[in-house]
Amino acid sequence: MKKHIYLLAAFLGLGVGMSHAQIQKGSVLIKNATVLTVTKGNLESSDVLVQNGVITQIGKNLSAPAGVTAIDATGKYVMPGIIDAHSHVGLDVVNEASAPITAEIRMKDVVNPQDLGIYRALAGGVTVSHAMHGSANVVGGQNATLKHRWGSEDPANIIMQEAPRTIKFALGENPTRVHGRGNGIQPRSRMGVEAVIRNGFNEAIQYKKGWEKYNLAKAQKGNTVTPPAYSERLQTLADILDGKIIIHCHSYRADEIYMLINVVKDFNIKKLVFQHTNEGFKVAPEIAEYTMGASVFADWWAYKMEVYYSTAYNAAILQKNGAITSINSDSAELIRHLYHEAGKTQRYGGLTDEEALAMITINPAKQLGIEDKVGSIEVGKQADLVIFEGHPLSSYAVPQMTFVDGVKYFDRKADKDDQRLSVAATEMVEPIFLRANEEAHRCMQDVDKYFEAFQGAFAKEKH
Amino acid sequence: MNKQFLKAGMLGLLVAGWLSQSALAQSDPSGKRRVTSTYAITNATVFKAPGDPGSKATILIKDGVILGVGTTLTLPKEAKIIAGDSLYVYPGFIDGAGTMGITKPKDVERPKDFVSSSPPDEVAGITPWRMATDSYTAASTQVDDWRKAGFTLSQLVPDGGMLPGKTAIVLLGEPKTNNFLKVNTAVSANFRSSRGMYPATLAGVMAKFRDVYQNTALVIEHERIFAANSGVKRPQASPTHTAFMPVVQKQLPVLFTASSELEIRRAIALQKELGFKLVLTGLENYESVIDVIKSSGTPVLIKLQVPDDKSIKSQKADGVTEATKAQYARVKEAYDKALKQAALLEKAGILFGFSTADAKAADVQKTLKTMISNGLSEKAALAALTTNPAAILGISSMAGTLEKGKLANLVLMTDTLFKEETQIKHVIADGYVFDYEIKKKAVKAETTTAKPEAASNAVQVEGLWEYTSETPAGSSGGEITLKRENGVLAGSITFDDPSGAGKASAPIKNASLTGKTLSFEFDVAAGGMSLTVTISGEINGKNMEGALSVPQMGSFPVKATLSSPSQAN
Repeated sequence: MKKHIYLLAAFLGLGVGMSHAQIQKGSVLIKNATVLTVTKGNLESSDVLVQNGVITQIGKNLSAPAGVTAIDATGKYVMPGIIDAHSHVGLDVVNEASAPITAEIRMKDVVNPQDLGIYRALAGGVTVSHAMHGSANVVGGQNATLKHRWGSEDPANIIMQEAPRTIKFALGENPTRVHGRGNGIQPRSRMGVEAVIRNGFNEAIQYKKGWEKYNLAKAQKGNTVTPPAYSERLQTLADILDGKIIIHCHSYRADEIYMLINVVKDFNIKKLVFQHTNEGFKVAPEIAEYTMGASVFADWWAYKMEVYYSTAYNAAILQKNGAITSINSDSAELIRHLYHEAGKTQRYGGLTDEEALAMITINPAKQLGIEDKVGSIEVGKQADLVIFEGHPLSSYAVPQMTFVDGVKYFDRKADKDDQRLSVAATEMVEPIFLRANEEAHRCMQDVDKYFEAFQGAFAKEKH
Repeated sequence: MNKQFLKAGMLGLLVAGWLSQSALAQSDPSGKRRVTSTYAITNATVFKAPGDPGSKATILIKDGVILGVGTTLTLPKEAKIIAGDSLYVYPGFIDGAGTMGITKPKDVERPKDFVSSSPPDEVAGITPWRMATDSYTAASTQVDDWRKAGFTLSQLVPDGGMLPGKTAIVLLGEPKTNNFLKVNTAVSANFRSSRGMYPATLAGVMAKFRDVYQNTALVIEHERIFAANSGVKRPQASPTHTAFMPVVQKQLPVLFTASSELEIRRAIALQKELGFKLVLTGLENYESVIDVIKSSGTPVLIKLQVPDDKSIKSQKADGVTEATKAQYARVKEAYDKALKQAALLEKAGILFGFSTADAKAADVQKTLKTMISNGLSEKAALAALTTNPAAILGISSMAGTLEKGKLANLVLMTDTLFKEETQIKHVIADGYVFDYEIKKKAVKAETTTAKPEAASNAVQVEGLWEYTSETPAGSSGGEITLKRENGVLAGSITFDDPSGAGKASAPIKNASLTGKTLSFEFDVAAGGMSLTVTISGEINGKNMEGALSVPQMGSFPVKATLSSPSQAN
């Protein structure tokens, strides 16, 4: 596995010498807990043995091998680490809003392992988050799947290197507002959004052909075919067409959701997940049939026109129609209590405990293409675990300890007042006030600055 | 007879006039031209290179070259003697990457068909074809300031966007001569994004860097195919690709400005991915990435400045909660760590020099002493000023040590380098001698905060001052109001509003009166940034004369008059 990661890292050009990219793996025995496996039912008074970062045994009366710490979890619950399929925690940049397609942008370039949001997420039992590009453009950047290994200095160490590539798409008001308004370029409308996607894919097909032609010719002696221009933007779109990248598309309205399903059908793309998907309940059978499902808010809407027609039953309706459904945060605040968010599907839709927990574990794992590695408590899976006081779907649930790869990164009993990883030498220590707008989501971060600058320039040109 | 005598006299006068005129024409009417280009610094204590314990020797230089260093040199008659008996001579300092004398090129006008998603390279800050030499003014006060601090060579970095242009190595010699030692020495790069266009963020800059690199490689391949075959489509290299070719061909390094740990990691990650030669510059926070720098083998140029201690000094001992005290302790710990960074580079065996960009010339001695008192050896400090940057810039054969055949770049000091109270008496750069006034040891007066009464008796500082300053932008001025409150000098200053017409005002910070010297700071907001301007001057009666210094701009003369003094209470 280590070698695999190293090769992958080398291939991705992440430049991580093993001496720096040493990812810590832990061993631990959690004893006598109620184990909520999510995929294999609930096990009363059971133990989970973790060795070198991997779950090696689940059962009763296991004994700790030499050197392995045992934790008594009598009366407590153990569940798989929570996975957030839509987050912007741990990123220095969210939106490269300057072009309708910016598929060449890599969020892995701008991961910041010192973001305190990562620790706060751990305190809410979240061990994996999908650090996404924002929704300012139709095709945004490539996302990073993060494992919350808090304390790492090297960004490469918190990137889940074995996770497949994913990319952000966005429909509706955000891309039409950023690019259409004032800028006068596509897309000004939802139709324009579709045109940008179709044109992009068609260009990518031509790009791929150009390179295939050149690669064939260049081996020949006396070759006169010259190389086409390099475009990571088009290459990335070509990789989507080749099934190498999962699309995660910001969407609200049923019509545009259905539009994108038709577009990907036309281009024979299979890997598509819808994000937000507030009107998903209207097209749930179509989502279930053709996509990898939807990742939705439990009950968050009405923050702009296209998000008015919404219901808290959305997740349950999607789930009952057979769509893979997850509950996400898109917020550094909501990420701390996704187990509450999942619980709302029981009040609005009557989902079972297992179905509700799947919304924040195995289902998002499936949407990120990592369900064989995380998302449930099974022998052979990575040991991302949370110990809860109280059932996680109870209103009184409090996470006690959070493990990633068997290493404990959060312990409620050892929670320091000041968890910052680094402090500036020139920092003034001033009183801190709680802000009221903490829940503001970051989907459009960096856009305002861009937009202001652009508007300024535009006004200047027109006088 | 009389008449004839008169005639002869007239002729004599004419001849004399003609003679004197021709003498003036051949000489230098300003009287500034030097008599000789040969100098001998005799019997000085010479430190030839880092680690040299120093020994008495004479140094002979001519036409900007060291002819010899030794005790048995024969001095030619034309040699001007600089008696070095009480002087300590070091190799001239080398600035690995600086912006002294560099002005930012004017923004390029946007074309009519401008599209923010694909702007022309030139508009988006991608101008690797530009040369630092084109935006350099040798007769700049910044150059004077750094020379005065002992610097004799600098690698100039052009100002601009993500790829501003190519660097050049200049001598800080006589401003009227051509001072370029080597042009096009590196391609400078940084993580600066473009406002309101692609690439608008750090993520965009990294993607665009890859794009420029990969497409340059393809243009090189295209040109190769074109040269080797007939019937091939004509290559059309853009100015960007042409200028970037030496990077792809590993002929020139990329001089990447990266100040923080994450920026350093990102620059090294790009280097590993693409494989270019890399030199990092402008490092400020790097304590946790020293092993990353070491294993990548990247030479670094750290910023010649230590963090200011304002936040440490502002920590209160009393009346704060335990939680605040714990936070204070963390800031203190971070501060102490920051001061030790240079020593850790030495310990790790990393090749490092200094960058003067964004640093203050007046603080050099203080900065070096701080680094040394935090573990950096004097030998390593001198190496970082001389031989290390020479090696990084590829000019070791010409500069960095005092040896026969090397460039005549020397620093002549009143005592050994790094010693308290040591001052620079002469700097010789490119064989030109620059003399500096040696200040008498200042009699330390009590500072205003300690004993306000005593100080205020000596010098009248409170009241309304009217000041004028001379900057390259012209003459400007305003009013300074100073008042002592609870023993602390405070007040405000007005100045020409940089964002438009009229005057702006700012509160005065960190004001102090030491002896007759008044100094204070204030912040000027310009273009979304805040600059801290320092004014320092000597008060004589109702007049003050001194300097106004602006970071990255240099220092400029300032004069002030106390127009309405406050009444003493």
